[in-house]
Amino acid sequence: MASQGIGGTGLTDSGPSSHSHHNHNMPYAVYRGINPASTSFINQESSGFDFGELEEAFVLQGFKISNDEAKASLYAAAAATGKPAATLEMFPSWPMRFQQTPREKSKSREESTDSGSLSSRVQPHLEPESPISRKASSDHQQNTQEQQQQLQNMASNNPRTGGLQTELAASKSNSEKKKGAASTSERVLDPKTLRRLAQNREAAKKSRIRKKAYVQQLETSRMRLSQLEQELQRASSQGIFLGGGTTAGSNISSGAAIFDMEYSRWLDDDQRHMSELRTALQAHLSDGDLRLIVDGYIAHYDEIFCLKGVAAKSDVFHLITGMWTTPAERCFLWMGGFRPSELIKMLIGQLDPLTEQQVVGIYSLQQSSQQAEDALSQGLEQLQQSLIDTIATASLHDGMHHMALALGKLSNLEGFVRQADNLRQQTLHQLHRILTVRQAARCFLVIGEYYGRLRALSSLWLSRPRETLIADDNSCQ
Amino acid sequence: MQYQNTRTRQRSLSSESLERVARLASGSAVVIFSSSSCCMCHAVKRLFSELGVSPTVYELDQDPNGKGMERALSKLLGNSPVIPVVFIGGELIGSMDRVMASHISGTLVPLLKKAGALWL
Repeated sequence: MASQGIGGTGLTDSGPSSHSHHNHNMPYAVYRGINPASTSFINQESSGFDFGELEEAFVLQGFKISNDEAKASLYAAAAATGKPAATLEMFPSWPMRFQQTPREKSKSREESTDSGSLSSRVQPHLEPESPISRKASSDHQQNTQEQQQQLQNMASNNPRTGGLQTELAASKSNSEKKKGAASTSERVLDPKTLRRLAQNREAAKKSRIRKKAYVQQLETSRMRLSQLEQELQRASSQGIFLGGGTTAGSNISSGAAIFDMEYSRWLDDDQRHMSELRTALQAHLSDGDLRLIVDGYIAHYDEIFCLKGVAAKSDVFHLITGMWTTPAERCFLWMGGFRPSELIKMLIGQLDPLTEQQVVGIYSLQQSSQQAEDALSQGLEQLQQSLIDTIATASLHDGMHHMALALGKLSNLEGFVRQADNLRQQTLHQLHRILTVRQAARCFLVIGEYYGRLRALSSLWLSRPRETLIADDNSCQ
Repeated sequence: MQYQNTRTRQRSLSSESLERVARLASGSAVVIFSSSSCCMCHAVKRLFSELGVSPTVYELDQDPNGKGMERALSKLLGNSPVIPVVFIGGELIGSMDRVMASHISGTLVPLLKKAGALWL
């Protein structure tokens, strides 16, 4: 549902953007390039913004600029060297930068590019922007040379950049205050630095081209894959997969899309339940009132297990590969969800004070869930082995028969995911039984906060600042 | 009547199968009705062996009356898929989900001890 049909990376998030979705909507936002923290870098990369330029600026300023300062410098640069009015552009992109170029025809193209790239910003950032910016720039090489020329012409009284000159002079004093300004007013550049900067620009350009080629490759193989899937479905035996196949062309089945939507709603509910728990604990409600809230939270978890059960029938792969979760959760996924024994282990330190009987109960719960997990994992392993054998022995003439057998075996996956969810549900219920009402309230708050933090970690990871954006050792050549 | 009509024949067969199931189930402390190709059955067998129990396993796909017994079990449990089905001390526990629920809630081990399948 969140997929725009490109790439199909694991960021299947859904739901409208709103503050309440803060935690889990971040990956969605990042994917769409709306996240302001990462917008500047993502858009620059694809819209052809030259990081050679950026490094130039840093070099000229002579100090290392951190991520935030870099953005500030871009804003400052845009403000200083761009429009005469000191309005700070929200999204500095290369057309802004190039408004100072004296070429008349390119200027009008840039205006349209600016708005074009702004509108394309709400789409996946990969393809749409580069062609647009490429067209507008007509020849990137030319611009590079132009920039270099610009640098060298700074001192000279080029009448076309005359007005700019005064701006730059003014910006020089600005740059003292805004220390990140990327003005090119001080340029005592030695040729070695210039050459290195030029090389960086070339390398950046190369990696952009490579990235484009790679994405192109991905698109074509994705199309081929969906074609193959369709052929296979047509040839396979009847009734094994009823509605679970992929719809033509899209990356996500309808069952999965529905589940993603319901899960996102469930996450909102989760936030609500947690704040209820929090206020209830702080308000020191009576045990009876607290019990109602805790029971409500258990029912909330029962709901997601029920939803997962339904989803498992239509698209078990979606669940078991964790496409419905955030990347960090996916990393620690066990059979389509969290590992109960890990959860207990995490809780053990946080549930004090516990009576001795409770401690015994918790430890034995951990042990029995561990045993059940091992049993299920071994069963799944046997399923995988059996599947491998079936596919491996498929020969030329009875290949279809073996594929049909394999499809039959795959249908057992649903059973495993359901048992795993059953295990998770039983573990939570048992926790509820062992703990007192107040302990249970704290316990569920801890659980909710833990997974909230894990989800937030995914967003933070995805939008983390990357220092070497210029292809340096990142290239494989 | 010279021949039993199909209906009656089926009914008598199924009651035969049910009897056989009941007989086998009470024959050992822990009885699992399984299938050699079923992976969930493998999982439940692993669980019991982890607990230190050696159950008596009947592979229905290798039993001549297997189909009938499977049908009888599904009538008993009321859902499908049926196997694995676990009996402890002659009492029906159920499928994998009931076994796991029982283990998590801590009732499985006492049952096993009571049936003599586990010591200490």
